[in-house]
Amino acid sequence: MATAPTSEAAPPRPSRLNPWVLGAGLAVVVPLLAVLVMNLGRDPHSIRSPLVGRPAPAFSLAPVGGGAPVSLDSLRGRPAVINFWATWCVPCFEEHAALAAAARTFDDVQFLGVVYEDEEPRTQEFLAQRGSSYPALMDPEGRTAIAFGVFGVPETFFIDARGQIVDKYVGPLNRGTIAALIARAKGGSP
Amino acid sequence: MSRLALALLALAAVPAVAAAPTTAAPAIEAPRSRPLSGPELDARTNDIGGLLRCPVCQGLSVADSSSSMARNMKAEVREKLAAGYDQEQILAQFERSYGEFVRLEPPMRGVNWLVWFGPIAVLVGGAGVVVWAVKRSSRGSEATGSTSSDLPSRDTLPSDRRLAAAVRRVRELAYGWPGGIPPTAGTGTS
Amino acid sequence: MIPTLGRTLILLALLAASGGALVGFATGARPTRAGWLWTRRLAYAFAGFMVLANLVMEYALLTHDFSVSYVAHVGSRSVPTWVSLVSLWSSLEGSILFWGLVMGAYVVVATWQNRDKHPEYMPYAVGVWLLCGAFFSFLLAGPAQPFATVASPPMDGPGPNALLQNHYLMVIHPPFLYSGYVGMTIPFGLACAALLVGRLGPDFIRPLRNFLLLPWIFLTVAIVLGGWWAYEVLGWGGYWAWDPVENASFLPWLTATAALHSALLVERKGVLKAWTVTLVIGTYLLTILGTFMTRSGVFNSVHSFTQSAIGPTILVFLAAALIFAVVLLTLRVDMLAPEGRLETGPSRDVLFLVQNLLFVLFTFTVLLGTVFPLVVEAARGVQMSVGRPYFDRMSVPIGVCLLFVMGVGPALPWGRATGQQLRSALLPPLVGAAALAILGLALGVRNAWTMLALFFGGFTAYVTISELLLPVRQRMRSHGEGFLEAFGQARRRGQRRFGAYIAHAGALIAIVAVAVSSTMGSSKEVQLRQGESTALGAYSVTFVDAERVSEPHRESTLARVDVSKNGRPVGSLYPRMNQYESQREPIGTPAVRTSLTEDLYLSIHNIDPHSRTVGLLVMVNPMVGWIWIATAIIALGGLVALMPPWRGARVTVTERAPVGAASPEGSS
Repeated sequence: MATAPTSEAAPPRPSRLNPWVLGAGLAVVVPLLAVLVMNLGRDPHSIRSPLVGRPAPAFSLAPVGGGAPVSLDSLRGRPAVINFWATWCVPCFEEHAALAAAARTFDDVQFLGVVYEDEEPRTQEFLAQRGSSYPALMDPEGRTAIAFGVFGVPETFFIDARGQIVDKYVGPLNRGTIAALIARAKGGSP
Repeated sequence: MSRLALALLALAAVPAVAAAPTTAAPAIEAPRSRPLSGPELDARTNDIGGLLRCPVCQGLSVADSSSSMARNMKAEVREKLAAGYDQEQILAQFERSYGEFVRLEPPMRGVNWLVWFGPIAVLVGGAGVVVWAVKRSSRGSEATGSTSSDLPSRDTLPSDRRLAAAVRRVRELAYGWPGGIPPTAGTGTS
Repeated sequence: MIPTLGRTLILLALLAASGGALVGFATGARPTRAGWLWTRRLAYAFAGFMVLANLVMEYALLTHDFSVSYVAHVGSRSVPTWVSLVSLWSSLEGSILFWGLVMGAYVVVATWQNRDKHPEYMPYAVGVWLLCGAFFSFLLAGPAQPFATVASPPMDGPGPNALLQNHYLMVIHPPFLYSGYVGMTIPFGLACAALLVGRLGPDFIRPLRNFLLLPWIFLTVAIVLGGWWAYEVLGWGGYWAWDPVENASFLPWLTATAALHSALLVERKGVLKAWTVTLVIGTYLLTILGTFMTRSGVFNSVHSFTQSAIGPTILVFLAAALIFAVVLLTLRVDMLAPEGRLETGPSRDVLFLVQNLLFVLFTFTVLLGTVFPLVVEAARGVQMSVGRPYFDRMSVPIGVCLLFVMGVGPALPWGRATGQQLRSALLPPLVGAAALAILGLALGVRNAWTMLALFFGGFTAYVTISELLLPVRQRMRSHGEGFLEAFGQARRRGQRRFGAYIAHAGALIAIVAVAVSSTMGSSKEVQLRQGESTALGAYSVTFVDAERVSEPHRESTLARVDVSKNGRPVGSLYPRMNQYESQREPIGTPAVRTSLTEDLYLSIHNIDPHSRTVGLLVMVNPMVGWIWIATAIIALGGLVALMPPWRGARVTVTERAPVGAASPEGSS
């Protein structure tokens, strides 16, 4: 079929600029693009902790293998490193050695491990095999993990002498990072 | 202790927690409501569980998730309800640990009002646009008005030429229009 | 060899699409026969190369060719064949390749069907389609290469995501979703063509509407399939969580549904042309936004992809498409002049507008809620969530209002209604409303919104059935035909109308079923030892024993649970926990016993075969089965409405001149 005249007889109107459409279009498009662009590169799954710069939550947990419970108050006066870990967590193996070494090096800092969603016998076996230089505490119903806002393991909290959380580190630590963060915890807080 | 004193203590504790990082571990706030038990406790645990986000799941609420973290959080909600804390207190406590992220319904603060009032604004604005559009349309073009039947309006023609010719012939016979074209041509016959 | 072949095919597709787009736009501006011919040829070429590229990838997947990067990512020798086949669309680059396949198929059908119709529109339309095709080819050639060569191919691969191997539904959900999503490109091209030409005539609204309806049917089914998958696989007992990815598929559906309805007004009265075109363009833009949401890694969602170059690339395309749309609309919208007028006062016209407003409001609300965490992060620097409670709270009133409009709208006549007409239209359906409401009350419904949904549902059901049967009754009266014959004749003559009312029937069942299932369910979590029972509602479930099953790709523990209803045993259910090699936490598969009234839903939270205990979630979900049935009805309605235009009109005009009348003008 050749380009036959179609049944619309009226000629098209001249092209004009409709200011309302332009305004409405820009009002939708510009904020939307701005929001998307500004969020590129951010990882939506890494949630910043609201506890940084605030007092550490109170806890009182029994060590693995029994014994007197260790509480937050007992840490007052010294900087502390609280590491949440578990025997089923592969990156936790990697950092275990670094933490154990750091605990021996920085003897003015109290290191504590809190076992997250694990069983006592397994933990004892793990520690017997790998050794440890600082207490490991059992958190049977995960209450302390919840209080500290733990999303998974390993997560480590660096606390200053006054009981303020100075840093939260997510992921396995190495010696350099431990040293740097301990320096921050010692060297004065905001 | 009298209720008033208890309330005052609670009131004093809240700003102490919020504004004074130099104190020791945060003061424990007092429950604001009555303790729950039985099926009411179950129902409210489920309700509040539905408002908390499971930190280790993808968008699921604590009530819906079967992960051990969610179960621990649910148990904690249950304990707090049994102790007499009310919904806002419980949500605020989890928010202190995990941040605003853990609340599935945005609390009204800062720019959050936009997500609650935006839809209402669009509804009202949209209704205005609809009213304006209808008024403008009925005031505007003088095309051969609307029919009250399901048939297409009297000045449209099909694109097939033979069919269009037949339709025009019918209109000529039925309405007496010369050539089958309606007398008030308006903004283009098509 | 295969990677090179694949890459070549994609490059050829990119060339064909780019060339075709250029030729298409040039032909649109200056129509020539040759130009249109070459536009079509290049469109077919693009499609052909895409199909071949997909076939090559399937071959590579089935032969476990790990030198192809995509196969190395998702292939595995230990998965069943159907999983290998389906891995084409299971992951990032492969799904974009599949997108290209579906787009090619649509372009071929749409181009071929309109090869000698609408000559002033079609080159522009094909140009737009090929421009979109060129973008996706570019993605495949650059940031999202599925055919990159792996230097030292591994012996075996990890297999696709474990969750995707859990259920057969994953086989059909992506093809349906893509057929819906990608299909929206076609009406987008047609709408842009209308704007570029500066006209939207009644002949062109037809293909626009049909090519909107076809992907709409697929998208409707796909969205509900996604919900069904969540229900049958994820184990939390619900079917919709308002995850960003779910919302990504829902948003274009909302605007497409609105567009389908306003297109009806364009066809009947020649009004709302610019609005319909805007809705169609908005639908396509929402599909691009949706694909950005799913693939960019910017949104906190079930689909968690690591951030790569794909996100920014799609964002650039989205920005370009948005700007193109705004500019085109700004310059051309005034050319789409209305040819009729809308009725004021109570009439079907006004209710169409109200319905459109509700759909747009729904779209805005879901979009705002989904994007809002990003807004707050940018504004306050705080990470927050907008989750299910918010969306449920917002969508319930809107859904109930839509149900109301779906009832009152078709009840009203097209023109301005008199008081008498209003009364005779709106009073009788109240019988249906009252009936359903009383039934609900009797069955224990107490929630206010659910009661309202039942009331409006009954009203709408009455109106829908009576409108469906209206032409039948008219024929029985005027032609004296029997019911069946009148039904057949009426359906044949008004197939679109029939289809529309069938779809409405499905929609109202779906809304009522959602309302009932959300508020009338019950659940409990129990720890059961072997042999122990628990009861919920009329059901009693007993944990009989646990059994381990080994499959090549997973280890499963099944729990045998005997079910009895009202005292009579009705069989056994086997919820399971699956342990995949690549996951730490096992993934459960619930067991569901569906009946017409309710589902019994069992999901394992924890199972210990040694101590013989199982932590079980027991739920009774009423009317969930009706949601799936209702969706099938909606799809059926859509298909019925779609069918006639494909056959086209066949008219024989006799040249016999009637007595005493002038000869007709323009007779061919």
